[in-house]
Amino acid sequence: MTANRKVAIICSKAGLDECYPALILANAARQSGIDAFVFFTFWGLDVITEEKVDHLHVNLAGNPASGMPTMLAGLPGMESLAGRMMRKQMTELSLPSVREMLQILDEAGAELYGCELAMQMFKRKKEELVPQVKDVITAGDFYDLAEGAQIIFT
Amino acid sequence: MSDPTKTELTLIAERLDALTAQVARLAERPRQDDLYDELVPVVRAMMGSAMGRLDAMERDGTLAFVRELGGVGQKVLANFSAADVRQLGDAVVTILETVRTLTQPDVMRVAADAGEAIQHADSAKPMGLFGMMRATKDDDVQRGMAVMMEVLRRVGHGVNAIAAKQQHADDKKAKLAEILGPKRQRKVLGTERAAPPKALPPPTPVVKAAPPAPACAVPAKPGQVAAVIDGVAFTADGNLVDAAAWTRGLATALADAERVALTDAHWAVLDAARADFAATGSSPNIRRLTQVAGVSTKDLYVLFPRAPGRTIAKIAGLPKPAGCL
Repeated sequence: MTANRKVAIICSKAGLDECYPALILANAARQSGIDAFVFFTFWGLDVITEEKVDHLHVNLAGNPASGMPTMLAGLPGMESLAGRMMRKQMTELSLPSVREMLQILDEAGAELYGCELAMQMFKRKKEELVPQVKDVITAGDFYDLAEGAQIIFT
Repeated sequence: MSDPTKTELTLIAERLDALTAQVARLAERPRQDDLYDELVPVVRAMMGSAMGRLDAMERDGTLAFVRELGGVGQKVLANFSAADVRQLGDAVVTILETVRTLTQPDVMRVAADAGEAIQHADSAKPMGLFGMMRATKDDDVQRGMAVMMEVLRRVGHGVNAIAAKQQHADDKKAKLAEILGPKRQRKVLGTERAAPPKALPPPTPVVKAAPPAPACAVPAKPGQVAAVIDGVAFTADGNLVDAAAWTRGLATALADAERVALTDAHWAVLDAARADFAATGSSPNIRRLTQVAGVSTKDLYVLFPRAPGRTIAKIAGLPKPAGCL
Protein backbone atom coordinates (compact mmCIF):
# COMPACT_ATOMS: atom_id res chain seq x y z
CA MET A 1 0.00 0.00 0.00
CA THR A 2 1.01 3.60 -0.48
CA ALA A 3 -0.82 4.83 2.58
CA ASN A 4 1.88 7.12 3.92
CA ARG A 5 3.77 7.92 0.76
CA LYS A 6 4.86 11.57 0.78
CA VAL A 7 6.59 13.97 -1.58
CA ALA A 8 8.21 17.26 -0.67
CA ILE A 9 8.71 19.55 -3.64
CA ILE A 10 11.02 22.56 -3.54
CA CYS A 11 10.18 25.29 -6.00
CA SER A 12 13.10 27.73 -6.26
CA LYS A 13 12.32 29.53 -9.49
CA ALA A 14 9.44 31.64 -10.67
CA GLY A 15 9.56 31.41 -14.44
CA LEU A 16 6.20 30.38 -15.81
CA ASP A 17 7.93 27.38 -17.34
CA GLU A 18 9.91 26.75 -14.16
CA CYS A 19 7.10 26.68 -11.63
CA TYR A 20 4.58 24.54 -13.50
CA PRO A 21 6.53 21.30 -13.09
CA ALA A 22 6.47 21.72 -9.32
CA LEU A 23 2.75 22.51 -9.30
CA ILE A 24 1.84 19.70 -11.69
CA LEU A 25 3.93 17.19 -9.78
CA ALA A 26 2.30 18.19 -6.50
CA ASN A 27 -1.15 17.93 -8.06
CA ALA A 28 -0.39 14.59 -9.66
CA ALA A 29 0.80 13.34 -6.28
CA ARG A 30 -2.48 14.30 -4.67
CA GLN A 31 -4.43 12.71 -7.50
CA SER A 32 -2.49 9.51 -6.93
CA GLY A 33 -3.23 9.56 -3.23
CA ILE A 34 0.25 10.75 -2.26
CA ASP A 35 0.65 13.43 0.41
CA ALA A 36 2.34 16.46 -1.07
CA PHE A 37 3.75 19.72 0.13
CA VAL A 38 5.54 22.41 -1.78
CA PHE A 39 8.20 24.68 -0.35
CA PHE A 40 8.58 27.96 -2.24
CA THR A 41 12.00 29.50 -1.75
CA PHE A 42 14.12 32.24 -3.28
CA TRP A 43 12.64 33.33 -6.61
CA GLY A 44 10.02 30.65 -6.20
CA LEU A 45 8.48 32.97 -3.62
CA ASP A 46 7.09 35.04 -6.50
CA VAL A 47 4.80 32.13 -7.38
CA ILE A 48 2.92 32.54 -4.10
CA THR A 49 3.14 36.34 -3.93
CA GLU A 50 -0.24 37.94 -4.54
CA GLU A 51 0.94 40.67 -6.89
CA LYS A 52 3.31 38.51 -8.90
CA VAL A 53 1.45 35.27 -9.40
CA ASP A 54 -0.54 36.46 -12.42
CA HIS A 55 2.45 38.03 -14.13
CA LEU A 56 5.10 35.35 -14.17
CA HIS A 57 7.46 35.52 -17.13
CA VAL A 58 9.16 32.95 -19.25
CA ASN A 59 12.95 32.96 -19.21
CA LEU A 60 14.13 32.77 -22.81
CA ALA A 61 17.74 33.94 -22.47
CA GLY A 62 20.20 31.11 -22.23
CA ASN A 63 17.45 28.60 -22.85
CA PRO A 64 18.40 26.67 -25.98
CA ALA A 65 15.00 24.94 -26.12
CA SER A 66 13.16 28.23 -26.44
CA GLY A 67 14.25 28.54 -30.05
CA MET A 68 14.96 32.21 -29.49
CA PRO A 69 18.60 33.33 -29.90
CA THR A 70 19.94 34.54 -26.57
CA MET A 71 20.97 37.80 -28.23
CA LEU A 72 17.30 38.55 -28.95
CA ALA A 73 15.88 36.90 -25.87
CA GLY A 74 17.63 39.47 -23.71
CA LEU A 75 15.85 42.39 -25.31
CA PRO A 76 13.56 44.37 -23.03
CA GLY A 77 10.01 43.09 -22.94
CA MET A 78 10.87 39.73 -24.47
CA GLU A 79 10.23 37.80 -21.25
CA SER A 80 6.86 39.30 -20.58
CA LEU A 81 5.95 38.84 -24.24
CA ALA A 82 6.85 35.17 -24.07
CA GLY A 83 5.00 34.89 -20.77
CA ARG A 84 1.88 36.40 -22.31
CA MET A 85 2.10 34.09 -25.31
CA MET A 86 2.54 31.03 -23.13
CA ARG A 87 -0.35 32.05 -20.88
CA LYS A 88 -2.55 32.53 -23.94
CA GLN A 89 -1.64 29.11 -25.24
CA MET A 90 -2.39 27.57 -21.85
CA THR A 91 -5.78 29.25 -21.77
CA GLU A 92 -6.53 27.86 -25.22
CA LEU A 93 -5.68 24.38 -23.95
CA SER A 94 -7.87 25.16 -20.92
CA LEU A 95 -4.89 24.54 -18.66
CA PRO A 96 -5.30 26.16 -15.26
CA SER A 97 -3.37 29.34 -14.57
CA VAL A 98 -0.78 29.43 -11.80
CA ARG A 99 -3.29 30.99 -9.42
CA GLU A 100 -5.84 28.30 -10.30
CA MET A 101 -3.21 25.63 -9.84
CA LEU A 102 -2.52 26.95 -6.35
CA GLN A 103 -6.24 26.84 -5.55
CA ILE A 104 -6.53 23.31 -6.95
CA LEU A 105 -3.53 22.21 -4.90
CA ASP A 106 -4.99 23.75 -1.78
CA GLU A 107 -8.37 22.10 -2.36
CA ALA A 108 -6.69 18.81 -3.15
CA GLY A 109 -5.02 18.95 0.23
CA ALA A 110 -1.47 19.75 -0.83
CA GLU A 111 0.29 22.05 1.62
CA LEU A 112 2.10 25.17 0.42
CA TYR A 113 4.86 26.81 2.43
CA GLY A 114 6.92 29.95 1.99
CA CYS A 115 10.60 30.18 2.92
CA GLU A 116 11.30 32.47 5.85
CA LEU A 117 14.78 33.50 4.73
CA ALA A 118 13.54 34.33 1.24
CA MET A 119 10.73 36.36 2.80
CA GLN A 120 13.31 38.40 4.72
CA MET A 121 15.48 38.78 1.66
CA PHE A 122 12.68 40.09 -0.52
CA LYS A 123 11.19 42.04 2.43
CA ARG A 124 7.82 40.38 2.09
CA LYS A 125 5.15 39.94 4.70
CA LYS A 126 2.86 36.97 5.05
CA GLU A 127 -0.10 39.20 4.11
CA GLU A 128 1.43 39.68 0.68
CA LEU A 129 1.27 35.97 -0.06
CA VAL A 130 -1.70 34.19 -1.62
CA PRO A 131 -4.18 32.84 0.95
CA GLN A 132 -3.43 29.23 0.03
CA VAL A 133 -0.02 29.43 1.73
CA LYS A 134 -0.28 27.50 4.95
CA ASP A 135 2.76 28.91 6.70
CA VAL A 136 6.17 30.51 6.39
CA ILE A 137 8.80 28.07 7.61
CA THR A 138 12.57 27.68 7.82
CA ALA A 139 14.69 25.11 6.08
CA GLY A 140 14.86 23.16 9.34
CA ASP A 141 11.07 23.06 9.58
CA PHE A 142 11.08 21.83 6.01
CA TYR A 143 13.20 18.82 6.94
CA ASP A 144 10.88 18.04 9.86
CA LEU A 145 7.95 18.07 7.44
CA ALA A 146 9.79 16.10 4.81
CA GLU A 147 10.53 13.21 7.13
CA GLY A 148 9.86 10.04 5.21
CA ALA A 149 9.08 12.00 2.05
CA GLN A 150 10.72 11.88 -1.33
CA ILE A 151 12.24 15.31 -2.03
CA ILE A 152 11.99 16.85 -5.46
CA PHE A 153 13.90 20.03 -6.28
CA THR A 154 12.75 22.10 -9.22
CA MET B 1 47.43 89.83 -65.61
CA SER B 2 50.61 91.37 -66.87
CA ASP B 3 50.81 94.79 -68.46
CA PRO B 4 51.64 93.71 -72.03
CA THR B 5 48.47 91.58 -72.05
CA LYS B 6 46.48 94.61 -70.88
CA THR B 7 47.72 96.71 -73.76
CA GLU B 8 46.96 93.92 -76.18
CA LEU B 9 43.43 93.55 -74.87
CA THR B 10 42.97 97.32 -75.21
CA LEU B 11 44.06 97.06 -78.82
CA ILE B 12 41.57 94.29 -79.50
CA ALA B 13 38.83 96.29 -77.86
CA GLU B 14 39.58 99.30 -80.04
CA ARG B 15 39.55 97.15 -83.12
CA LEU B 16 36.26 95.56 -82.14
CA ASP B 17 34.73 99.01 -81.55
CA ALA B 18 35.66 100.01 -85.07
CA LEU B 19 34.16 96.80 -86.45
CA THR B 20 30.97 97.26 -84.45
CA ALA B 21 30.56 100.69 -85.98
CA GLN B 22 31.00 99.16 -89.42
CA VAL B 23 28.43 96.48 -88.69
CA ALA B 24 25.96 99.04 -87.41
CA ARG B 25 26.28 100.97 -90.60
CA LEU B 26 25.76 97.84 -92.63
CA ALA B 27 22.71 96.90 -90.66
CA GLU B 28 20.98 100.03 -91.84
CA ARG B 29 21.00 98.72 -95.36
CA PRO B 30 17.57 97.44 -96.33
CA ARG B 31 18.41 94.30 -98.31
CA GLN B 32 19.42 91.15 -96.56
CA ASP B 33 21.61 89.60 -99.24
CA ASP B 34 23.49 92.87 -99.62
CA LEU B 35 24.07 92.87 -95.95
CA TYR B 36 25.37 89.34 -96.14
CA ASP B 37 27.66 90.14 -99.07
CA GLU B 38 29.05 93.09 -97.24
CA LEU B 39 29.26 91.38 -93.94
CA VAL B 40 31.28 88.33 -94.95
CA PRO B 41 34.51 90.16 -95.78
CA VAL B 42 34.14 92.35 -92.74
CA VAL B 43 33.67 89.41 -90.42
CA ARG B 44 36.53 87.62 -92.09
CA ALA B 45 38.76 90.60 -91.56
CA MET B 46 37.59 90.85 -88.00
CA MET B 47 38.14 87.18 -87.31
CA GLY B 48 41.51 87.27 -89.02
CA SER B 49 42.80 90.12 -86.99
CA ALA B 50 41.30 88.76 -83.77
CA MET B 51 42.82 85.34 -84.45
CA GLY B 52 46.19 86.96 -85.10
CA ARG B 53 46.07 88.77 -81.83
CA LEU B 54 44.88 85.71 -79.96
CA ASP B 55 47.57 83.59 -81.58
CA ALA B 56 50.14 86.04 -80.28
CA MET B 57 48.65 85.83 -76.83
CA GLU B 58 48.55 82.06 -76.94
CA ARG B 59 52.19 81.98 -77.77
CA ASP B 60 53.09 83.71 -74.55
CA GLY B 61 50.76 81.27 -72.69
CA THR B 62 48.16 83.76 -71.50
CA LEU B 63 45.30 82.20 -73.38
CA ALA B 64 45.69 78.63 -72.14
CA PHE B 65 43.86 79.61 -68.98
CA VAL B 66 41.08 81.40 -70.88
CA ARG B 67 40.64 78.41 -73.20
CA GLU B 68 40.29 76.07 -70.25
CA LEU B 69 37.71 78.43 -68.87
CA GLY B 70 35.88 78.18 -72.19
CA GLY B 71 35.90 74.39 -71.82
CA VAL B 72 34.34 74.81 -68.43
CA GLY B 73 31.74 77.09 -69.99
CA GLN B 74 30.96 74.40 -72.55
CA LYS B 75 30.41 71.87 -69.80
CA VAL B 76 28.20 74.31 -67.95
CA LEU B 77 26.17 74.91 -71.10
CA ALA B 78 25.80 71.19 -71.70
CA ASN B 79 24.44 70.54 -68.24
CA PHE B 80 22.40 73.58 -67.38
CA SER B 81 19.45 75.24 -69.08
CA ALA B 82 18.54 78.91 -69.13
CA ALA B 83 16.00 78.35 -66.40
CA ASP B 84 18.72 76.95 -64.19
CA VAL B 85 20.81 80.02 -64.75
CA ARG B 86 17.87 82.26 -63.84
CA GLN B 87 17.43 80.33 -60.63
CA LEU B 88 21.14 80.64 -60.06
CA GLY B 89 20.77 84.39 -60.35
CA ASP B 90 18.07 84.35 -57.68
CA ALA B 91 20.23 82.26 -55.37
CA VAL B 92 23.47 84.09 -55.98
CA VAL B 93 23.46 85.88 -52.64
CA THR B 94 22.95 82.65 -50.77
CA ILE B 95 25.64 81.00 -52.85
CA LEU B 96 28.09 83.74 -52.08
CA GLU B 97 27.27 83.55 -48.40
CA THR B 98 27.75 79.79 -48.48
CA VAL B 99 31.04 80.12 -50.29
CA ARG B 100 32.22 82.76 -47.84
CA THR B 101 31.33 80.52 -44.89
CA LEU B 102 32.94 77.49 -46.46
CA THR B 103 36.12 79.34 -47.38
CA GLN B 104 36.82 80.71 -43.91
CA PRO B 105 40.41 79.71 -43.13
CA ASP B 106 39.32 77.64 -40.10
CA VAL B 107 36.69 75.77 -42.03
CA MET B 108 39.08 75.17 -44.90
CA ARG B 109 41.68 73.80 -42.54
CA VAL B 110 39.17 71.34 -41.05
CA ALA B 111 38.03 70.33 -44.53
CA ALA B 112 41.61 69.89 -45.73
CA ASP B 113 42.34 67.75 -42.70
CA ALA B 114 39.29 65.59 -43.33
CA GLY B 115 40.22 65.38 -46.98
CA GLU B 116 43.65 64.13 -46.04
CA ALA B 117 42.04 61.39 -43.96
CA ILE B 118 39.96 60.35 -46.95
CA GLN B 119 43.07 60.38 -49.11
CA HIS B 120 44.70 57.88 -46.78
CA ALA B 121 41.49 55.87 -46.46
CA ASP B 122 43.07 52.70 -47.84
CA SER B 123 45.05 52.25 -44.62
CA ALA B 124 41.87 52.39 -42.48
CA LYS B 125 40.67 49.05 -41.15
CA PRO B 126 37.00 48.02 -41.34
CA MET B 127 35.21 48.69 -38.05
CA GLY B 128 32.38 46.80 -36.38
CA LEU B 129 29.86 47.73 -33.73
CA PHE B 130 32.30 47.33 -30.88
CA GLY B 131 34.98 49.24 -32.73
CA MET B 132 32.50 52.05 -33.07
CA MET B 133 31.72 51.95 -29.36
CA ARG B 134 35.43 52.07 -28.53
CA ALA B 135 35.93 54.95 -30.92
CA THR B 136 33.31 57.00 -29.10
CA LYS B 137 35.63 57.14 -26.10
CA ASP B 138 38.01 59.39 -28.05
CA ASP B 139 37.55 63.08 -27.21
CA ASP B 140 38.01 64.19 -30.80
CA VAL B 141 35.51 61.66 -32.07
CA GLN B 142 33.05 62.82 -29.46
CA ARG B 143 33.50 66.41 -30.55
CA GLY B 144 33.17 65.40 -34.20
CA MET B 145 30.01 63.49 -33.42
CA ALA B 146 28.55 66.51 -31.70
CA VAL B 147 29.34 68.67 -34.73
CA MET B 148 27.95 66.09 -37.13
CA MET B 149 24.80 65.83 -35.03
CA GLU B 150 24.36 69.58 -35.20
CA VAL B 151 24.88 69.44 -38.98
CA LEU B 152 22.34 66.62 -39.22
CA ARG B 153 19.90 68.55 -37.07
CA ARG B 154 20.13 71.62 -39.27
CA VAL B 155 19.91 69.59 -42.48
CA GLY B 156 16.84 67.85 -41.12
CA HIS B 157 15.37 71.16 -40.04
CA GLY B 158 15.94 72.59 -43.51
CA VAL B 159 14.48 69.56 -45.26
CA ASN B 160 11.44 69.69 -43.02
CA ALA B 161 10.98 73.36 -43.83
CA ILE B 162 11.15 72.58 -47.55
CA ALA B 163 8.66 69.77 -47.14
CA ALA B 164 6.33 72.05 -45.20
CA LYS B 165 6.61 74.71 -47.89
CA GLN B 166 5.88 72.12 -50.58
CA GLN B 167 2.91 70.92 -48.59
CA HIS B 168 1.69 74.49 -48.27
CA ALA B 169 2.05 75.02 -52.03
CA ASP B 170 0.21 71.79 -52.75
CA ASP B 171 -2.55 72.85 -50.43
CA LYS B 172 -2.84 76.15 -52.25
CA LYS B 173 -2.96 74.37 -55.61
CA ALA B 174 -5.60 72.00 -54.34
CA LYS B 175 -7.67 74.92 -53.02
CA LEU B 176 -7.35 76.70 -56.33
CA ALA B 177 -8.34 73.59 -58.25
CA GLU B 178 -11.32 73.24 -55.97
CA ILE B 179 -12.46 76.76 -56.72
CA LEU B 180 -11.88 76.48 -60.46
CA GLY B 181 -13.39 73.05 -60.77
CA PRO B 182 -11.95 70.20 -62.83
CA LYS B 183 -9.88 71.35 -65.79
CA ARG B 184 -11.01 68.53 -67.97
CA GLN B 185 -12.52 65.15 -67.59
CA ARG B 186 -9.75 62.82 -66.54
CA LYS B 187 -9.44 59.75 -68.63
CA VAL B 188 -10.39 56.80 -66.51
CA LEU B 189 -7.49 54.41 -66.56
CA GLY B 190 -9.27 51.41 -65.16
CA THR B 191 -12.86 50.94 -64.35
CA GLU B 192 -13.62 49.48 -61.01
CA ARG B 193 -15.65 46.39 -61.47
CA ALA B 194 -18.29 45.49 -59.00
CA ALA B 195 -17.24 42.63 -56.80
CA PRO B 196 -18.77 39.34 -57.96
CA PRO B 197 -21.69 38.32 -55.80
CA LYS B 198 -20.50 36.08 -53.07
CA ALA B 199 -21.70 32.54 -53.35
CA LEU B 200 -23.86 31.69 -50.40
CA PRO B 201 -22.10 29.25 -48.12
CA PRO B 202 -23.72 25.86 -48.22
CA PRO B 203 -26.12 25.49 -45.33
CA THR B 204 -24.19 23.90 -42.53
CA PRO B 205 -26.00 21.08 -40.82
CA VAL B 206 -26.81 22.09 -37.29
CA VAL B 207 -24.60 20.03 -35.06
CA LYS B 208 -24.65 20.27 -31.35
CA ALA B 209 -21.27 21.66 -30.41
CA ALA B 210 -19.08 18.87 -29.22
CA PRO B 211 -17.83 19.47 -25.71
CA PRO B 212 -14.23 20.67 -25.67
CA ALA B 213 -11.64 18.00 -25.22
CA PRO B 214 -10.63 17.71 -21.61
CA ALA B 215 -7.39 19.43 -20.75
CA CYS B 216 -4.31 17.34 -21.15
CA ALA B 217 -6.50 14.35 -22.02
CA VAL B 218 -5.14 11.29 -23.73
CA PRO B 219 -7.62 8.81 -25.20
CA ALA B 220 -7.79 5.81 -22.97
CA LYS B 221 -6.25 2.68 -24.36
CA PRO B 222 -8.39 -0.43 -24.37
CA GLY B 223 -7.65 -2.20 -21.13
CA GLN B 224 -5.90 -5.51 -20.93
CA VAL B 225 -7.74 -8.17 -19.03
CA ALA B 226 -5.75 -8.93 -15.90
CA ALA B 227 -8.36 -10.73 -13.82
CA VAL B 228 -11.97 -11.95 -14.12
CA ILE B 229 -13.95 -11.81 -10.89
CA ASP B 230 -17.54 -13.12 -10.81
CA GLY B 231 -17.68 -12.97 -14.62
CA VAL B 232 -16.48 -9.32 -14.76
CA ALA B 233 -13.12 -8.57 -16.39
CA PHE B 234 -10.73 -6.12 -14.66
CA THR B 235 -7.47 -4.48 -15.72
CA ALA B 236 -4.30 -4.66 -13.66
CA ASP B 237 -5.18 -1.25 -12.09
CA GLY B 238 -8.58 -2.56 -11.02
CA ASN B 239 -10.71 -0.77 -13.62
CA LEU B 240 -13.42 -2.46 -15.64
CA VAL B 241 -12.21 -3.62 -19.04
CA ASP B 242 -15.62 -2.92 -20.61
CA ALA B 243 -17.56 0.07 -19.30
CA ALA B 244 -20.78 -1.50 -20.61
CA ALA B 245 -20.46 -4.30 -18.07
CA TRP B 246 -21.07 -1.79 -15.23
CA THR B 247 -24.18 -1.95 -13.06
CA ARG B 248 -25.22 0.04 -9.99
CA GLY B 249 -24.87 -3.05 -7.87
CA LEU B 250 -21.35 -3.56 -9.13
CA ALA B 251 -20.59 0.08 -8.29
CA THR B 252 -21.64 -0.44 -4.67
CA ALA B 253 -19.41 -3.50 -4.42
CA LEU B 254 -16.50 -1.64 -6.00
CA ALA B 255 -17.04 1.32 -3.65
CA ASP B 256 -16.89 -1.03 -0.68
CA ALA B 257 -13.55 -2.33 -1.95
CA GLU B 258 -12.31 1.30 -2.12
CA ARG B 259 -13.75 1.91 1.36
CA VAL B 260 -16.16 4.56 0.13
CA ALA B 261 -19.75 4.60 1.40
CA LEU B 262 -21.85 5.83 -1.53
CA THR B 263 -24.25 8.73 -0.86
CA ASP B 264 -26.39 10.74 -3.29
CA ALA B 265 -23.50 13.17 -3.69
CA HIS B 266 -21.24 10.29 -4.69
CA TRP B 267 -23.83 8.98 -7.15
CA ALA B 268 -24.19 12.40 -8.76
CA VAL B 269 -20.46 12.48 -9.44
CA LEU B 270 -20.43 8.89 -10.71
CA ASP B 271 -23.34 9.55 -13.08
CA ALA B 272 -21.68 12.71 -14.39
CA ALA B 273 -18.45 10.79 -14.97
CA ARG B 274 -20.26 8.04 -16.89
CA ALA B 275 -22.20 10.59 -18.95
CA ASP B 276 -18.98 12.41 -19.84
CA PHE B 277 -17.30 9.15 -20.81
CA ALA B 278 -20.27 8.29 -23.06
CA ALA B 279 -20.02 11.73 -24.70
CA THR B 280 -16.26 12.06 -25.15
CA GLY B 281 -14.97 8.47 -25.08
CA SER B 282 -12.32 9.37 -22.53
CA SER B 283 -12.39 8.92 -18.80
CA PRO B 284 -12.68 12.32 -17.07
CA ASN B 285 -9.81 13.47 -14.88
CA ILE B 286 -10.36 15.55 -11.74
CA ARG B 287 -10.32 18.90 -13.50
CA ARG B 288 -12.81 17.64 -16.04
CA LEU B 289 -14.99 16.23 -13.28
CA THR B 290 -15.17 19.58 -11.52
CA GLN B 291 -16.46 21.02 -14.79
CA VAL B 292 -18.98 18.33 -15.79
CA ALA B 293 -20.23 17.41 -12.30
CA GLY B 294 -20.19 20.93 -10.90
CA VAL B 295 -18.34 19.80 -7.79
CA SER B 296 -15.34 21.64 -6.41
CA THR B 297 -11.96 20.00 -6.26
CA LYS B 298 -12.16 20.19 -2.50
CA ASP B 299 -15.49 18.33 -2.38
CA LEU B 300 -14.15 15.65 -4.70
CA TYR B 301 -11.34 15.05 -2.23
CA VAL B 302 -13.87 14.98 0.59
CA LEU B 303 -16.11 12.46 -1.20
CA PHE B 304 -13.28 10.29 -2.47
CA PRO B 305 -10.35 11.10 -0.17
CA ARG B 306 -7.78 8.85 -1.77
CA ALA B 307 -6.96 9.65 -5.39
CA PRO B 308 -10.45 10.85 -6.37
CA GLY B 309 -9.96 10.69 -10.13
CA ARG B 310 -8.81 7.12 -10.11
CA THR B 311 -11.29 6.00 -7.48
CA ILE B 312 -14.23 7.53 -9.31
CA ALA B 313 -13.15 5.86 -12.55
CA LYS B 314 -12.90 2.53 -10.81
CA ILE B 315 -16.31 2.77 -9.14
CA ALA B 316 -17.97 4.19 -12.26
CA GLY B 317 -16.56 1.33 -14.33
CA LEU B 318 -14.44 3.58 -16.52
CA PRO B 319 -10.81 3.25 -17.66
CA LYS B 320 -8.09 4.86 -15.55
CA PRO B 321 -8.08 8.60 -16.40
CA ALA B 322 -5.10 9.82 -18.36
CA GLY B 323 -3.46 13.24 -18.23
CA CYS B 324 -1.78 15.26 -15.52
CA LEU B 325 -4.50 17.47 -14.13
